[in-house]
Amino acid sequence: MGNKSARKPRKLTVYLYIPNIIGYIRVLMNCVAFAICFSNKRLFSLLYFISFVCDGIDGWCARKFNQVSTFGAILDMVTDRISTACLLVILSQVYRPGLTFLLLLALDIASHWFQMYSTFLSGKVSHKDVKDSTSWLFRAYYGNRMFMAFCCVACEVLYITLFLLAEKPTEKLTDVLVKSVRESPFLLLLLASSIFGWTIKQAVNVIQMKTAADVCVLHDITKKRAS
Amino acid sequence: MADKPVRKPRKLTVYIYIPNIIGYIRVLMNCVAFAICFSNKRLFSLLYFISFICDGIDGWCARKFNQVSTFGAILDMVTDRISTACLLVILSQVYRPGLTFLLLLALDIASHWLQMYSTFLSGKVSHKDVKDSTNWLFRAYYGNRMFMAFCCVACEVLYITLFLLAEKPTEKLSDVLLKSARENPFLLLLLALSIFGWTIKQAVNVIQMKTAADVCVLHDITKKQAP
Repeated sequence: MGNKSARKPRKLTVYLYIPNIIGYIRVLMNCVAFAICFSNKRLFSLLYFISFVCDGIDGWCARKFNQVSTFGAILDMVTDRISTACLLVILSQVYRPGLTFLLLLALDIASHWFQMYSTFLSGKVSHKDVKDSTSWLFRAYYGNRMFMAFCCVACEVLYITLFLLAEKPTEKLTDVLVKSVRESPFLLLLLASSIFGWTIKQAVNVIQMKTAADVCVLHDITKKRAS
Repeated sequence: MADKPVRKPRKLTVYIYIPNIIGYIRVLMNCVAFAICFSNKRLFSLLYFISFICDGIDGWCARKFNQVSTFGAILDMVTDRISTACLLVILSQVYRPGLTFLLLLALDIASHWLQMYSTFLSGKVSHKDVKDSTNWLFRAYYGNRMFMAFCCVACEVLYITLFLLAEKPTEKLSDVLLKSARENPFLLLLLALSIFGWTIKQAVNVIQMKTAADVCVLHDITKKQAP
């Protein structure tokens, strides 16, 4: 009797990996959070924050339990994109001008979409593996994981803070910012540091969109030359 | 004197291809449209409709002028995703329950993101080239380009119609649908047809999300088997 060949993992096995189950819990938490976001702002912020923490935990679990999967990475990315999008949606409902948040939503979707395409076209593993870029901001951002994490966290903190600060059904963005800054030095510090991190992240989004578009264009040019 | 080598196209050349210029015009039109969507609903609908037409035109131009480019295809896809997303955002502002449209936004982003990954991982050219799927709905949808186009158009028509039908700043979705269906037989027909096409498209989105997730999982399984 020959040796049984290594049993190939079934599809269901990958779907039930621990980090992927954490991913499903994140999705459910976000659904509940956005269902109650206007009726219970504090619970919404708590659920959103827990989901954000899980975002870091599932990556750690994947490496620790040797359960890294492409599906898990995509589930993670898609959940991030959708939760940020929904947060920008409710901010655009509460704040005037709403167009500000529509533009941020557009930038988030466009920059990540282009980045994903350019990652595939140039055969890199992740859009975070940007070693050959000459932009100093790029290198500062991607070269230093702590700084990158700070900017990402700053974005989410800014959006959640803005949502919590809104008292009336519709608020003017500038009014709320100025009022909060005057009332509380703690808020001033929080808003200042989160706006700083947010600015860096949006600038990187714009630059990466252009860089990624260049990769797509160069891909076509190289293909035409080789034919 | 040796022959001069064929001059390779510069990056700028691809950026100013005619279909890509149409793409930039679409982006600008959408920015203007969503900036004025609440103050001038008719102009908004007209601009959105023109942008939708251009979506078909730029593909035709690309083939006719031999200016097909990866960048152009991505620009097209990203513009579609963002314009649909923004339309769902303003519908979620106007209609209760707003969560309905947040869920549709999540489905749109998630299904297209997963489809894109699975297209790359399985080496297909486009997510529309689905020849090997055994699902009857899939084959009906992707096998018949007219039917597919009808469903896509139906979605956009439904969303724009819902936006135009809303008179108060906040409306209940079911109330507006019932009222319009009773008042006007033409509206009844339009809503019925577009809801039919919309249902098919959303069902296909859900199925394709599952199919694409399977492709990602199988990709990992195959990789593990062949070290």
